[in-house]
Amino acid sequence: MYRTVCIAQYMNESAFENLKLELRRGCLVLAVLSQLRVEHYGYTLRKALAEDGLEIEESTLYPLLRRLETQGLLTSEWREEEKRNKRFYRLSKDGKLVLRQLLDEWQTMGASLGRILRESKV
Amino acid sequence: MNLLNRYLQEVSKYLPKARREDIVAELRANITSQLEDREEELGRPLTEDEIVAMLQHHGNPMIVAGRYRPHNLGLAFGVQLIGPELFPFYRMILLLNFCITLVILAIVLPIVAREVPGAITLGRFLTPLLMQFAAVTVIFIALEQGKDHVLNRWDPGQLPPLKTASEDGPSARNIFNFVAAAVGTLWLALTPRWPYLLLGPGALYLPAIPMKLMPEWVWFYGAIVALLCLQLGLQFLNLLRMLTRRAGRVADLTLKCAGLAIGILLAFKFPNYVTSPYQDVAEWANLSFLICVIVGVAIGLFGIVRALSRDHRAELTGPRTDHQNPRPYGTGL
Repeated sequence: MYRTVCIAQYMNESAFENLKLELRRGCLVLAVLSQLRVEHYGYTLRKALAEDGLEIEESTLYPLLRRLETQGLLTSEWREEEKRNKRFYRLSKDGKLVLRQLLDEWQTMGASLGRILRESKV
Repeated sequence: MNLLNRYLQEVSKYLPKARREDIVAELRANITSQLEDREEELGRPLTEDEIVAMLQHHGNPMIVAGRYRPHNLGLAFGVQLIGPELFPFYRMILLLNFCITLVILAIVLPIVAREVPGAITLGRFLTPLLMQFAAVTVIFIALEQGKDHVLNRWDPGQLPPLKTASEDGPSARNIFNFVAAAVGTLWLALTPRWPYLLLGPGALYLPAIPMKLMPEWVWFYGAIVALLCLQLGLQFLNLLRMLTRRAGRVADLTLKCAGLAIGILLAFKFPNYVTSPYQDVAEWANLSFLICVIVGVAIGLFGIVRALSRDHRAELTGPRTDHQNPRPYGTGL
């Protein structure tokens, strides 16, 4: 009996972790694109996100920046700052357009979700 | 900093070659900033243990590198069975196993067909491939399940020591490459004259085997040996550091294209590789050779396309160029 409860609890936790991961994934892209309206390099971007309450692992953020750049949403350049070469990212022209569309989508979804949650009183 | 260098060295091992330097440079800048920030916060240099903790938090080098792989693919069947971090390694092992199995089958099947007529069926051909697929997939699914326990439990203190210039640099590796290539080319060039080098004592039975290579083979064999000699020359220049990275890549690519051209000629302009008084033996042997040549051509073509796309990506994204950093070809990190 105890074992069954433990397995059920483990599965619930695992399902929750997976769902949380899915929920976060889209939000992270939105947050990163928004933050890169101002130029940042990887570490300062991570710090800026953390200061706004969005902690993100280095091993998630840095490859994400590369992917967004490959998709044409970011541009980057190597530049020396404080005697060290750093790769600075900023939103590209396409990125600005996509960000605007994503923010519209986010607001629509947020409003709908707000109504649904109020109705079902979760 | 020694620990950071060792960590980055380990990450770089698993990164795609073309973007390796660029990614490592970026990681170095980010992690160094993080370390400096922490030192500023504490008002003192970080201890070894604190750096270890920071790197541990940054993640297992293999997982970190896996996230930079260009295609973030995975294997899913309802739930995700193999995640994007392990998938590139899964694909690589699977491809390697398939190639080895195909080569073995190409050698074994004609013999079996000769000894036991009717023994070869499509099922018997596909079974080893399916078994390979199943075994490798099961192993990687198990690895994926235990990934968090196994891969996250790693100790930065146990990272391999930093390779010195003499270990990692051109000398050691390129000398080895050159000697290996020289021995291989010599072996290949001498084999037709002394089949003992390939078959050992079995060479004594060669005249009794009811199968002969077609005379045109001499030309193809000569072309392959000539190509290997050119490759040897290229490695020699590389050994003396007489080639820039770009020149080395162009020469290497040219030789690969020449090799591919020989393979295509072999596959499409030269349907019969062997003759035999037994028609079924000749048919099976020719078919096996053809499969091997086509697989070789496909692998060669894939290699060329991959090298080209790597070079293209490196040109687009690389922080350095030959002009800024004229390093010899093949010197690694």
